[in-house]
This record gives sequence, structure tokens and C-alpha cells, in this order.
Amino acid sequence: MGLLRMGTMIHVLVLVLSQIYAFPKPEGIQDKSLHNRELSVERPLKEQIAEAEKDQILKTAPPENKAGERNYSSDNLNLLKAIGEKEKKEKERKSIQNSPHKKLIMEEVDSTKNHRLVDDYDSTKSGLENKSQDDPDGLHQLDGTPLTAEDIVQKIATRIYEENDRGVFDKIVSKLLNLGLITESQAYTLEDEVAEVLQKLISKEARNNEEEPDYPSSRTENYAENLPEEMTLKPTIQDGPTNGESDDTVRKTWTMPNTLERRNKLYTEDNFDDLQYFPNFYALLKSIDSEKEAKEKETLITIMKTLIDFVKMMVKYGTISPEEGVSYLENLDATIALQTKNKLDKNATDNKNRFISVPSDKSHEETDSTKEEAAKMEKEYGTQKDSTKDGSNTHQNNEEPEGKTEAYLEAIRKNIEWLKKHDKQGNKEDYDLSKMRDFINQQADIYVEKGILDDEEAETIKRIYSSL
Amino acid sequence: MGVRGGCTLLALGAALTACAWLLGSAAAAGEPGTAGMRRRRRLHQEDGISFEYHRYPELREALVSVWLQCPSVSRIYTVGRSFEGRELLVIELSDNPGEHEAGEPEFKYIGNMHGNEAVGRELLIFLAQYLCNEYQKGNETIINLIHNTRIHIMPSLNPDGFEKAASQPGELKDWFVGRSNAQGIDLNRNFPDLDRIVYINEREGGPNNHLLKNMKKIVDQNTKLAPETKAVIHWIMDIPFVLSANLHGGDLVANYPYDETRSGSAHEYSPCPDDATFQSLARGYSSFNPAMSDPNRPPCRKNDDDSSFVDGTTNGGAWYSVPGGMQDFNYLSSNCFEITVELSCDKFPPEETLKSYWEDNKNSLINYLEQIHRGVKGFVRDLQGKPIANATISVEGIDHDITTAKDGDYWRLLVPGNYKLTASAPGYLAITKKVAVPYSPAVGVDFELESLSERKEEEKEELMEWWKMMSETLNF
Repeated sequence: MGLLRMGTMIHVLVLVLSQIYAFPKPEGIQDKSLHNRELSVERPLKEQIAEAEKDQILKTAPPENKAGERNYSSDNLNLLKAIGEKEKKEKERKSIQNSPHKKLIMEEVDSTKNHRLVDDYDSTKSGLENKSQDDPDGLHQLDGTPLTAEDIVQKIATRIYEENDRGVFDKIVSKLLNLGLITESQAYTLEDEVAEVLQKLISKEARNNEEEPDYPSSRTENYAENLPEEMTLKPTIQDGPTNGESDDTVRKTWTMPNTLERRNKLYTEDNFDDLQYFPNFYALLKSIDSEKEAKEKETLITIMKTLIDFVKMMVKYGTISPEEGVSYLENLDATIALQTKNKLDKNATDNKNRFISVPSDKSHEETDSTKEEAAKMEKEYGTQKDSTKDGSNTHQNNEEPEGKTEAYLEAIRKNIEWLKKHDKQGNKEDYDLSKMRDFINQQADIYVEKGILDDEEAETIKRIYSSL
Repeated sequence: MGVRGGCTLLALGAALTACAWLLGSAAAAGEPGTAGMRRRRRLHQEDGISFEYHRYPELREALVSVWLQCPSVSRIYTVGRSFEGRELLVIELSDNPGEHEAGEPEFKYIGNMHGNEAVGRELLIFLAQYLCNEYQKGNETIINLIHNTRIHIMPSLNPDGFEKAASQPGELKDWFVGRSNAQGIDLNRNFPDLDRIVYINEREGGPNNHLLKNMKKIVDQNTKLAPETKAVIHWIMDIPFVLSANLHGGDLVANYPYDETRSGSAHEYSPCPDDATFQSLARGYSSFNPAMSDPNRPPCRKNDDDSSFVDGTTNGGAWYSVPGGMQDFNYLSSNCFEITVELSCDKFPPEETLKSYWEDNKNSLINYLEQIHRGVKGFVRDLQGKPIANATISVEGIDHDITTAKDGDYWRLLVPGNYKLTASAPGYLAITKKVAVPYSPAVGVDFELESLSERKEEEKEELMEWWKMMSETLNF
């Protein structure tokens, strides 16, 4: 009883004091007790939240104080008790607040404030693990950073050179391929690069050996040893993973002639000889002997070499049969002959019909000839695909495209007119048109994908826009 | 449309055809075959709108033309494929096509769900062209609509059925041929029957909205659903539609939920909780269509019972009970309010009549679109300003709640009046606000919800302050 009285007295005292001294009242508490919570007025809660965050005092939720009415007359005693206990706990906490173990005291509400230092440590831990792990592939440098492409190439080339065995390359490449780490085209590129680096290694060695008295013999010796490897790097790589699968004819075609005859020549020289099996191309190359066109020559050689290696790669991986590869290359050579002939006959040969992009440079004719092949193939397949569609609309085919094109043209015209009217600022007009064109092209492609537009229609639309 | 006296219809149809021949023989109505159509391509043209029947290729072409003319405010997409592989094409008109802008309501028109009810299909194509034309002409109403609404138009939900119906020779089209999809499924009976569930919930307690739980699973695993139905359900789930209309033919009235009677009887007025709102929405369509809202209009067929029709509108159940319809499915599975509009006594009228159907419905179609900007709309966010998706907005006195979309935005269609709106979400304290709603435009009401934990924090804080003050004052 006495305690209860004290409680009520305190309550009264508070009221009195608040009126006299005008202390900052926690008015919210009193308001809450009166208001029906469902029809609340928006309060400056943001302020209170900001304050709460500033304090950064860990609090526990007093179990008895739920959201709801507060009946001070009866609960005061319990309230005071609870507060007293809480104060004690708070004082305790304050003392250990700055200790590093505060993270252990987790509060739902305060979870956002806690620092997750543990996680930070974890991330570097995993890195250390990587470093210490034995790396059988040798694909990491000693300090753990992953190798760059050049490093890898260097490494492989060095290993081949050291072990004097081109099988090293095969092993590594097939491993990488199996792991799905590289694609076939990347393997091919890798081969190139490794060969290049290997060549450099060899030439470096050769230069080192220059100072030695028995230079010529050792040089030739080295070259005799190394060149055959390098030379045979490509053709015999075929034999590697595909043991016995490659055809004898192919092997024969590309077995290099006597390597001893070669001297310290540039990489391209070897290719040159490689290409001697393509008489027409070879003739073409020979004809471009002026210094001016040296670059073109190089480009041609590279292109041809690329093609040959690509075909070799395809044969090696079984994408095409060796006969197909050979016939393809033979066709290529024949085409080159034809092209050269045509070129000689008519100076300005317009090949717009054949190619998607009009070649402006003469030096690109060789590339175009291969594109032509591809285009031919595409057309073959293309017509096969379309034939099923055409079957259903035989009758209306003539009228349909006309009517449609007309309609689309009309619609586009209206759009352009509106654009012009709409953006009266002179500078904007052209800018908007090209923007519109790009947008339309993009959308047209998407529509074709989704089946909303035919290929033809999309082409028509793009053509109309590009002609504006 | 339901089953009606087929025989009398045939006779009437024959008579109508004869009349049509006499009147419009010069125009050489003939069959809407592909060859014929192409030759008459530019005959009935007005402002780029050609008033003729569009088969699937022409439909596609027409939509593409609209897009090409108005690429900055339109976009074509497909919600899926019909049974026979035709794309269910939709053209979207909005100032930012392809995106939902926070606070911008989404609208849809769907036509030709019954393949032989052809007027809706054509009207929607005309509408797309019209909206584009008017936009470019500077028509303010249209410009405002396109800038403040995301309008989706699907001219045909059943392109396979249409092809079947349109391929019939002669003017006289059978009442049934082409109605269902290619599998013979009546799409407007194919939707999950949520009416039954809500009726149970009304009696025994249960939610009053979003009744189809595990929507995706149910839809994908249900073998009875036609591909067209599935496509629409996914569409409804993906886009937070607010208002919709489903265009049919065979009568002339604007029909609203519920379509299925509570007792199971054939005719019974079956109001939904938003009966008042729906009546207003339906009138928003019918009142602008002179034929539909004509009180002295004779029924389409002599023995038709149109006693339930009021001002060109009718409650679905009062007219005749329809289970598994798309209209009620919208209302009970999502936030979307949909009505069914019957546009023509004749399901597949002669081509020459299309222009007059357009004239009759043009204003209705636009006005119904504008109905979306009514009631209350706004955002529900937390105290930090972050949107709360899937919060519930309930209206006192209306037993149907809606939910907020991903950006916390909501749109609650209501007829004029005073309402108490409550926004609530799990883990948050509900807030109720009083709103006075005029006819139009929509009133903006936003809610900032306080999470329960925040409230707890606050209370603790206040308590501590009080204690501090107390202890200071009293020197404890």
C-alpha cells in the first residue's frame, strides 16, 4: 500500500513539476495513452529516431511495456521497478560498451549498427587458401596473382622450349579445352601466340649463341632441332589428340620440306612456303612485290595462314573431315584464281550482289572471297528454311509485300513528319533522326526475335530508314 | 456469349444477309477472303484507319504500322502463343513504353476472346491507330491519357478461332464456329473459378482478394488451361493492371461482376463488394454508346430477356450465370477491375458496318479509359521513404482489399463519397486516413508506415527520457 501511494505521489509530482518547471515532457507517452492508436496523427518520428541513433545505447525491450495503452495509475510501480533494473543493466553495459566484445551482445533492433568484422577476416582468409594451394596447372604466379594471358603463353612456350617437346602444348591445350576454360578458336589463337613466343625464344637463344665461336654450326644445329619442332608444331598437333584420326593425305600435304634449308628467317617466311601449295595465291603474292604493298602482302599472308590453320584446327577436332578441308582450300585457291582473273578483266568489279558489306579496299578482295563462300552457304540454308513459309502464301506473295511496304512507308513518313514538327529546334532534327533510326533498328531486331516481325519486314523498315 | 436459340438466329441471320445484300451490294461484300481484302485495301480508309476485317497477317501489319508511326509512345509485344502458334500480340501506348512508371496506372483492353465475335478485335485495331493519330495531332485528351496511363491493347486473344470464323464462306457466320480456341476450349469458361472460393469465404471467413495462391505453380501444372488462358494469367500476374475491359459480341450491353450466381441458379443478381463502383464503370462505357444506352432499344433477338439491363449495363449473374470467366478472375486474383462489353447483336457483322461500329464505340472506348483516373491513388512507404510492396489497402465498408505494386503504388477505384482507407503491411503499424472522393480525378493519398520495431524503439526512447527527467527532477 505504501509503495503504491509513493507511486501515485510521484506521478502527481511529475505532473506538478512539469507544469511548474516546464520540463521537456515526453508528451508522446501521455498522448499514447489517450489516443486510439488506429487513428494516429503523424508525429515527428524522424526526430526521435535520429536521437535514438545518436545515443547508441543498447537497450533491451522491457517486457511489460508493449505498444498499447499505458495505464500509469496501476502500472507505475512495476514500471519504476523495471526502469530501475534497466538502469543497472545499462550501467553495466556502458562499462563494457567500448570493449571489443560488444559484438556479442546482439539486438535485433541494433543489428544494423553492428560491424561485421568477422566477415572481413574471412575474405582474406580464402585468399590465403588459394595462395597456399598447390597449383598443378601452373596457372598462377608465385605471389598468387593470376597469370595474364601473356604470362601463360610465355610459360607454355618456355616449357616447350625447355623440354624440347611440342607435346607439352598439346597436353596443356587439351586440358584447358576439357575444363572448358578456352574455346577451340582460343586454342588456335594460343597456338599462334605460343609459336610466336617460341620463335622469339629461339631467336634470342640464337643471338646469345652468336658470340660463341662455333656459332654457325650450333646455330644450324639449334635451328635444325628447334625449327622442325616449331615447323611441325602445327601439322603434328593434328596428330596429338586425334591419334590416327587425321588423314594421311592431309599430313602429307603439309609435311614441311627439308628444314635444314631454312636459315634464320622471319616467321612469315615459313608461312610463305606453307602457301606454296596454293599456286594461285602464291602467284598473287609474288605479284605484289613492291615495297609499297608490303603491308598488303603481309595481310594477305596472315589471312591465308589464318584460314589454313583454321581448317587444320577443324580437321583436328573433327569438325570437318580432312577431305572436306582439302577441298575447301582447293576451292578457295580456285576462287582466288577466278577473282584475280576477273579483277584483271574488269578493273572496277562491283560485287554488291554477293556481299553484305561492299568492300571498298581492293586488298580486301581475298577476304571477300571467303565471305562469298560463307554467304553462299548461308543462302543455301536460308532458302531451305524459307521454303516452308513460302508454300502457304504462294498466291498473295506479289501483292502482299507491296501493300505492306507501302503501309510501312506511310507510317514512317508520318512519324518523321511529326518528329520534324515536334522538335522545331533546327539542330535537334538531324540528331533525332539518327537516334530514331538506331532505335528503330534495335527494336526491329528485337521484334524479329520475338516473332512480331518477319526478317523481310525488318529489312524493309531498316532500308526505309537508312534511305532517309 | 451464351447459348441462345440457334435456329431463330439462323433465320434472322439469313434475313439480315439479304438486307445487307440489297443495301450494300455495290460494295461487293463477298467473303473476307485474303485475296478480296487485299484488293480493297484502301477502299474504306479514313485518316489511316482502314475499316475492314484484319486476318492475322493484316492484324500484325496494322499494329506494326501504328508502332512505326508512333515509335516514341508505342511498343508491340507478345504475351505468348495461341495453340496454333500465332502470337498473342499486344500494342502498348504510353509515354515510356516498356516500363511501369511509379504511380502510373495500367489499363488493358482484350478483344476477340471468342474468335467469332469479331467487332471487338477490329475496334481495338482502330483504337490503336486512332490513339496514335490523335496523339500526333495534338489532341490534349489523348495526349494526357497516354502520358498518364499505360494502355495495353490486345486485339485478339483467340486468333485461331478468328481465322476459323473468318474462313467461313458467305456473309452468314455460324453462331458457334470459331468461338472456342483451336482445342475447342471456350476461353471464357476456362479460367480458374475463384467465384466459388470467394462465396465460401464470404460464408465462412477468408480473404476477399488475391485468392489464387501459388499462382505460377497452379497455372503451369494445370493441364486443362488453354495456352491462351495461361498467357493471360501470367500477363495479369506480371503487370499491376488497374482497369480492364473484355470485348465480346452477340449482344449490346456492359456487363460487370459477379458473373457466377451465388446460389447456382441460372439468373440471380450477384453483386460483388464493389458493386457501386462497377455500375459506375460500366456506365462509363455504355453511356457514350448511343445504341447501348438507348432505353428504347429492342432486344437483339425477339425472345431475348434483357430485363436485367439498366442504362446499357447489367450484373453478370443477373443476366445469366457464367463460371470460369476472365472478368471475375481478374477481380478475385489481382487488383484489376474488369467488365465485359458486348458490342454487337451480330457476332460477325458485314465489313461495311465496321465503320459505324467504330463511330458508336469510339467515345466509349476513350471514356472508359479515363475511368482509370478515379478514386484514390498513392504510395505506401516506410518511414525511411522506401516503398512497401504488397501492402494492403482496405476500404471501410467494402469487403475487397487491393495491394500495392512493386513501387508501393496503388490505385483504388471508388465512386464519389467519403471513405476511410487503411494501409497495412506485415510488421508495420496500420494507418487509417479519411478521404473525400470526387467523381474525378483520383485523390492522392500516401501512407508512411511505421514498422513495429521502430515503434518499440521509439517507446523505449521515450520511456528513457521520461525516466531521466524524473530522476533528475527528483534526484533519485
